[in-house]
Amino acid sequence: MAEDLVLDTAIRDWVLIPLSVVMVLIGVLRYFVSKLMRSAQIPDAKLVKEGQVIVRARNLRAAANFIPPKSFRARRLYYSNEENGLLYVPKGQAPNAQAQMFSDPNMAMDMMKKNLSMIIPQTLTFAWVNFFFSGFVAAKIPFPLTQRFRAMLQNGIDLSTVDVSYVSSRSWYFLNLFGLRGLFSIILGEENATDDTQRMMQMTGFGFTQPKSLGAEKDGLDIVQHDWTMPKFERRAEAVLRKLVR
Amino acid sequence: MAVHDESETSGRKESEEIDVPIFSAENMQSNMKVIYYSRTFMSIIGGVIAGILGFTGLTGFVIYFLVMAITSIGLIAKTGFSIHSYFTGWSQIILDGFLGGLMSFVLFWTFAYDIVHIF
Repeated sequence: MAEDLVLDTAIRDWVLIPLSVVMVLIGVLRYFVSKLMRSAQIPDAKLVKEGQVIVRARNLRAAANFIPPKSFRARRLYYSNEENGLLYVPKGQAPNAQAQMFSDPNMAMDMMKKNLSMIIPQTLTFAWVNFFFSGFVAAKIPFPLTQRFRAMLQNGIDLSTVDVSYVSSRSWYFLNLFGLRGLFSIILGEENATDDTQRMMQMTGFGFTQPKSLGAEKDGLDIVQHDWTMPKFERRAEAVLRKLVR
Repeated sequence: MAVHDESETSGRKESEEIDVPIFSAENMQSNMKVIYYSRTFMSIIGGVIAGILGFTGLTGFVIYFLVMAITSIGLIAKTGFSIHSYFTGWSQIILDGFLGGLMSFVLFWTFAYDIVHIF
């Protein structure tokens, strides 16, 4: 069937636009709620200290070539010394810290809260869409798809001869779900909890990398080959100055 | 457009001949954010345009790539054609975020197309 269906204007007014508006508003609401809930967190002093040590070690590794060899070696020893080096974690302790991270009540509560705040609005909205807006054609997507998408996109529509481009409101919901992420990142600034992959990376990154990254940093620091750039800098200064004079 | 006026003045120092590159991580991050915002905004606008003009099927996706290319050219022009003082390479300014705007583009394309043509 290649003819265009003519759809009622009321569908546009009462389905497409309200659904999009509701999803935008729910996203904004969720952003503010997550912001309010997050402010009650007190960072653990030990974690912060170890995080800062890692940052210092990383800076040392990045800027190793700008300090003379002896000072670099002295600093490196400070970090990776066997007895009291800051990065040295005896084998027994490492897995303990990880298990502790899991069973730490604060961490678990936070993760649960964040998960819930993602899942609940989505589930509620999906149930609302299914209840009110099912059983009719809601929109036409402007590009053609194969027959296999029919089951996914035309869920409430029971005619099998309708073109696959005419979709139900459930697929309009999913389209909105993915497409509004870009809009949220513009409206709400960078930090918004609507992108779940980003949020999960943030969450696990802070919790897990803790004991493992100490060992990783130490290994990275041990690997660095020191190549002092100071001798070359005189030549570089000469070249720059020559360019200016010319 | 407001997004394109955002100043990309955070250049990073780099030596010309001798190789030690000195990056300012904050500046590079802010540059990447500018690219991301520009692309998202342009993909939304492009979607609305494609919908209003009534493109369907493959032509619409061609419009998407066209809009992304125009965004890339605009960003390159904004850096004054000296990419290497703002980014680490061509791939960053041309390819980054290319497909990220696709979903927003399709959403607004469908929306505009339906409002104008079907209803």
